[in-house]
Amino acid sequence: MGYGRSDSYRVATTQDKDKKESPKKKGGKDLDDLKKEVPITEHKMSVEEVCRKYATDIVQGLTNAKAAEYLIRDGPNALTPPPTTPEWVKFCRQLFGGFSILLWIGALLCFLAYAIQAATEDEPAGDNLYLGIVLSAVVIITGCFSYFQEAKSSKIMESFKNMVPQQALVIREGEKMQINAEQVVAGDLVEVKGGDRIPADLRIVSSHGCKVDNSSLTGESEPQTRSPDGTHDNPLETRNIAFFSTNCVEGTARGIAVCTGDRTVMGRIATLTSGLETGKTPIAKEIEHFIQIITGVAVFLGVSFFILSIVLGYSWLEAVIFLIGIIVANVPEGLLATVTVCLTLTAKRMARKNCLVKNLEAVETLGSTSTICSDKTGTLTQNRMTVAHMWFDNTIHEADTTEDQSGSSFDKSSATWVSLARIAALCNRAVFKAAQDTLPILKRDVAGDASESALLKCIELSCGSVKAMREKNKKVAEIPFNSTNKYQLSIHETEEGNENSYLLVMKGAPERILDRSSHIMVQGKEQPMDEEMKEAFQNAYQELGGLGERVLGFCHVFLPEDKYPKGFAFDTDEVNFETDNLCFVGLMSMIDPPRAAVPDAVGKCRSAGIKVIMVTGDHPITAKAIAKGVGIISEGNETVEDIAARLNIPVSQVNPRDAKACVIHGTDLKDLSQDQMDDILRNHTEIVFARTSPQQKLIIVEGCQRLGAIVAVTGDGVNDSPALKKADIGVAMGISGSDVSKQAADMILLDDNFASIVTGVEEGRLIFDNLKKSIAYTLTSNIPEITPFLFFILVNIPLPLGTITILCIDLGTDMVPAISLAYEAAESDIMKRQPRNPLRDKLVNERLISIAYGQIGMIQALGGFFAYFVVLAENGFRPYDLVGIRLNWDDRSNNDLEDSYGQQWTYEQRKIVEFTCHTAFFVSIVVVQWADVIICKTRRNSVFQQGMRNKILIFGLFEETALAALLSYCPGMDVALRMYPLKPSWWFCAFPYSFLIFVYDEIRKLILRRNPGGWVERETYY
Amino acid sequence: MDLVTLVVFGSWLAPALGSAFGREVFASAENADKDYDSAFEYDYESLRIGGLVFAVVLFVLGIVLIVTKKCSCSSDKPRPKTPDEETAVPIAQ
Repeated sequence: MGYGRSDSYRVATTQDKDKKESPKKKGGKDLDDLKKEVPITEHKMSVEEVCRKYATDIVQGLTNAKAAEYLIRDGPNALTPPPTTPEWVKFCRQLFGGFSILLWIGALLCFLAYAIQAATEDEPAGDNLYLGIVLSAVVIITGCFSYFQEAKSSKIMESFKNMVPQQALVIREGEKMQINAEQVVAGDLVEVKGGDRIPADLRIVSSHGCKVDNSSLTGESEPQTRSPDGTHDNPLETRNIAFFSTNCVEGTARGIAVCTGDRTVMGRIATLTSGLETGKTPIAKEIEHFIQIITGVAVFLGVSFFILSIVLGYSWLEAVIFLIGIIVANVPEGLLATVTVCLTLTAKRMARKNCLVKNLEAVETLGSTSTICSDKTGTLTQNRMTVAHMWFDNTIHEADTTEDQSGSSFDKSSATWVSLARIAALCNRAVFKAAQDTLPILKRDVAGDASESALLKCIELSCGSVKAMREKNKKVAEIPFNSTNKYQLSIHETEEGNENSYLLVMKGAPERILDRSSHIMVQGKEQPMDEEMKEAFQNAYQELGGLGERVLGFCHVFLPEDKYPKGFAFDTDEVNFETDNLCFVGLMSMIDPPRAAVPDAVGKCRSAGIKVIMVTGDHPITAKAIAKGVGIISEGNETVEDIAARLNIPVSQVNPRDAKACVIHGTDLKDLSQDQMDDILRNHTEIVFARTSPQQKLIIVEGCQRLGAIVAVTGDGVNDSPALKKADIGVAMGISGSDVSKQAADMILLDDNFASIVTGVEEGRLIFDNLKKSIAYTLTSNIPEITPFLFFILVNIPLPLGTITILCIDLGTDMVPAISLAYEAAESDIMKRQPRNPLRDKLVNERLISIAYGQIGMIQALGGFFAYFVVLAENGFRPYDLVGIRLNWDDRSNNDLEDSYGQQWTYEQRKIVEFTCHTAFFVSIVVVQWADVIICKTRRNSVFQQGMRNKILIFGLFEETALAALLSYCPGMDVALRMYPLKPSWWFCAFPYSFLIFVYDEIRKLILRRNPGGWVERETYY
Repeated sequence: MDLVTLVVFGSWLAPALGSAFGREVFASAENADKDYDSAFEYDYESLRIGGLVFAVVLFVLGIVLIVTKKCSCSSDKPRPKTPDEETAVPIAQ
C-alpha cells in the first residue's frame, strides 16, 4: 500500500565496484564479487522455467532423492558463522599486543643482561634476573586480566544468539512436511505463512495477501507485498522474491527456493561483513605512538650513556649492561596495568549505562568520533507505524507519537472524530493477540498489517476497546484491500436505535476515497463536497504526504433502510450495493516516529562537534521528514531542492554551496565519482542518504574515513552490518538488532536507546583526558628512577636507588594514584568542545614528555638526591667525598673504607647504609608523587577550582604512604627487599621539593589560563 | 569484614604500642647518662613500631574513606534528564 508516495520504488544495488578505483581490501576478488549486484535471475523467469532449472515440480515439489542430492551438493541451508578466532589466539593477542610488546622487550633485555653478567662475573647481581621475571609476570597478569574482561563481554554476546532451530514447511513428492530449515535445498517448494521466518530466498509461485517485513534488509519500515508477478528487473525490488531470514507478517505464499545458505542475499551480506578488514582503534594507534616516543627516549638515553661510559673508560661489556639497564629503566612497568584498569573501569561504567563494549579499546573510540552515520529504522525511529496526524473538520490534528504517551493530545470532542474513529476501528482487520490485557496498549502484539495495527492502537488508546466497538457493530460483508481498487470496504450492522440497519465504511488511497465521496463531514454534519473543500483536502493531503507520512482516506455511509432492510444479503463479488456517493470523513496519516530521546541526543552530538549523517534504505521523503524531526536536518536549513522550490528555479541553477543540508538518493550515489562524494561529505553539514544498499552504506563510511573522520555507525539490520564492521566503532542495538549486526559491532546498546551514544561519547572523551593525566603521572617518576643510575655511572657514587625499590614504586605505590585519575571529573564541559583531531591531538605528545620528564621529573630527582645525600651525610659520608668512591664502595674485600670523619666501614655496613639510602630515595619519590598526583588532576584548571572530590585519589594518597611506611618499617623487609627503617626526619627531606612541584605547576597553569594560546600553552599544555 | 580487620589490627597493636612506649622511656633514660664511649645505638625497634602504626592508621583511614559513601565519587555524578516533550514532526496548520 504505497499511498501518498511520490517516490518510485528504487533500490540501488547496482555494482559499486567500478567506483572504487583501487580495491584496497585484502581478499580481493571474493570481496569485490560480494559487493556486486545480487546474482538472482529467477524473478525474470517464468515459474515453469524455474521449475525446469531446479528439476522440481510446481505441485509435487522435489523428490526426496533429488533433495538429498542437492543437500550434499550445496551444503546445509545455514549461514557459515564468521571464522571465530581460537581462544588461544585471542589470549596471545592480549599477551603480545600493543603495550605488552614494550615490556616483553624490556624483559628480554633484562635476561640478556643477566646472561652477560653471569658469563663474565663470578657472583652476578640478581637484579636483572628479578627485573626480567617481574616484567614478564606483569605482562602475563595484565594479559590474563584483559583476556577475561573481554571473554565476559563475549559471553553476554553468546546469550544473544537465537538457539531455537528454525522450521520450514516444504512439499516433497507431493507431501507437506515440516523439516529443519537447514535441510531446505534449492528447488524445494516452500510454504510460508504470517509469522514465519522465510527459510531461503524464494521465488514466489502463488500467494494470498502475503506481506514480508524487509526492514532488516532494506530498511523499509512498511511490510512489502509479495506476489508471483515480476515487477522489476532488480531482484531486490521485484515482488516475486522473498528473502532468507526476513519475516512474513501476514498471508500465505508458496515459493521455490532459489538460493540457500551463504548464497542468499542475506548470506552474501553476512559474508561480506565477516570478510572486511578493520583498522586499528584510535586508542591503539595512540598507544603505538606513545611506545615510539618512549622507545625513542630510552634508546637515545641508552646510546648516549653507552658512548659516555666507553669514553669514561668502562669495558665494553659493562657499557652494554649500562645500555640495557638504562633502556629497561625507561619502561614504565606499571603503565600497562594502569591503562588496562582505566579502560576496564570505563567499560564497566558504560555497561551500567547500557552500553556493552565488546572490545576494551573501543571504550575510547566514541570519544574520538567526529562523524556518526546512523541508520534510521529501529535506531532513530521506533520501528512501528503510528498515527501521527489526522485531518478532519478542515484542520490537521496532531496525534501523540511518543513511546510513553507523554505527548500532547488533540481535541476529541468533535463528532467528526467519533465517526472517523468508528471507521478506523471497523474497517480494520488487525486484532490484538490474545492474553495481553495487562500490557500497555503500545506494547501489545498485533496480528495484521502495520498501518492497520497503527490505527488499531490509536483508536484503542483514544476511544477505548475496539473489540467492544466491533461487537456492537457486527461485520456482515467485507471487500479486502487490493491493488486495483486501492480501498478496503466493510459493512456493519448499526447499533440499536439507529434508523438505518447498516453502515458502510471504507478506507483507502485518499484520492480514490475522494472520488467516491459526494459529501464531507464537518463538525459532525454532512455537507456537499464543493470545490473549496476539495482544495482543502488536496492541501492537507500534500502537506501530510510531504511529511513522509502514509496517508489514508476514510469515508462512510449509512445505507438507507428502505433499500437495504435488515437481513439484506450483501454480495461482495457482485457488489449489489452502492459504493459511490459516500460521505468523506477525514484523513489519517502514519509514520514510524522517532524515538523520544533521539532529538536531544542528536543536538548533544552536534554541540559536541560531531556530524550526524543519516544513512537509510528507506524513501527520501520519509528519511527527510524523520531527519527534520530528530534534528539531523536542523530547522531553517534547506536542501538544494528546497531552495529551488522556494525561488521557483530549476534545481540545476541553485548553487549547491548555498545548501547546508542535502538528501541523496541511492541511485544518484552510485553515479557519483569519488571526488564528488568527498565534495558532498565535506561541504554539507547535514546529510541524509536515502534508498542506500548495504554496499553503499559501506562506501559512505569509507568516504568519511578517507576524509580523516573517525566514524561511528549505528544500525540494527543486516543491511547495516558491513558498515558497522568497517566503521571505527560499530554500534548495534541490543533488543531489536539482528545477530549479524551485533556480531559486526564493537558496542551494543542494550536498551536500544540512541541517547546512550551521548553517554559513550562523554565517557570516551573523559577517559582519553584522564589517561593523559594517568600517563603523565606515571611517566614523571621515571626520571627520579633513571637519574640515580646515570649518576652512578657518571660520577661513581654509590648507587642511590636499586631495581627493587624502582619496582616498588612502579608496581606498588604509583598504581592506585595512577588508576584513581581515571575517576577524575571533567575539567570543563567536554561535550561542548570539538572532537579531537587524530593527527594533532595525541594521547602522549612531546609536551607531555617535556612536562613529565623535563620539568616535574627533574624536581623529583633533586628531592630524591637530597634525601640520599642527607642520609649519607648523617652517617658520615659528605657529598663531596662520595664522588669517585664507587669502586672501593662496591669492593667486597675492602672492609675498612674511611668516611669523611675517618670512621671505618665494613662492606656489609656500607651496604646497609646504601640500602637505607635506597629506602630514603624511595620514600622521597613517594612524597614528591603526592604533589604530582595533585597537579596531574588537572591539565588547565587550578586544583582549587577542581576540588578534591575524587575519593579514590585521596585513598590512593593514603595507601601509597602507608605502603611506603610498611615497606620501610615492617620487620623482615631488610632481608626480603633490603629496605631499612628510616628516621622520621628523613621523610621530610623531599617535602620542600613536593611543595615546589605544586607551586611550580600551579603557576604554570595560571599563566596558561591567563594567556590562552601563549607560549606556555603552546609549549606545555599536553 | 572491615570490623574484623580492625579488631585483628587492634589486638595486635595493643602490646606493640605498650612496648614501644616502654622502650622510649628506657632509651631516653640511657641518653641522660651520656656515656660517650659506648657504641652508637639507635632505637630502631620503637621506630619500626611507630612507623608500622603510622602505616596501619593511614591504611585504615584510606579504607574507611572509600567505604563511606562509595558511590558519591565525583565522576559518577547523576545526569539530569530532561524529557523531550517535543514531538517529531512539526505541526502544519
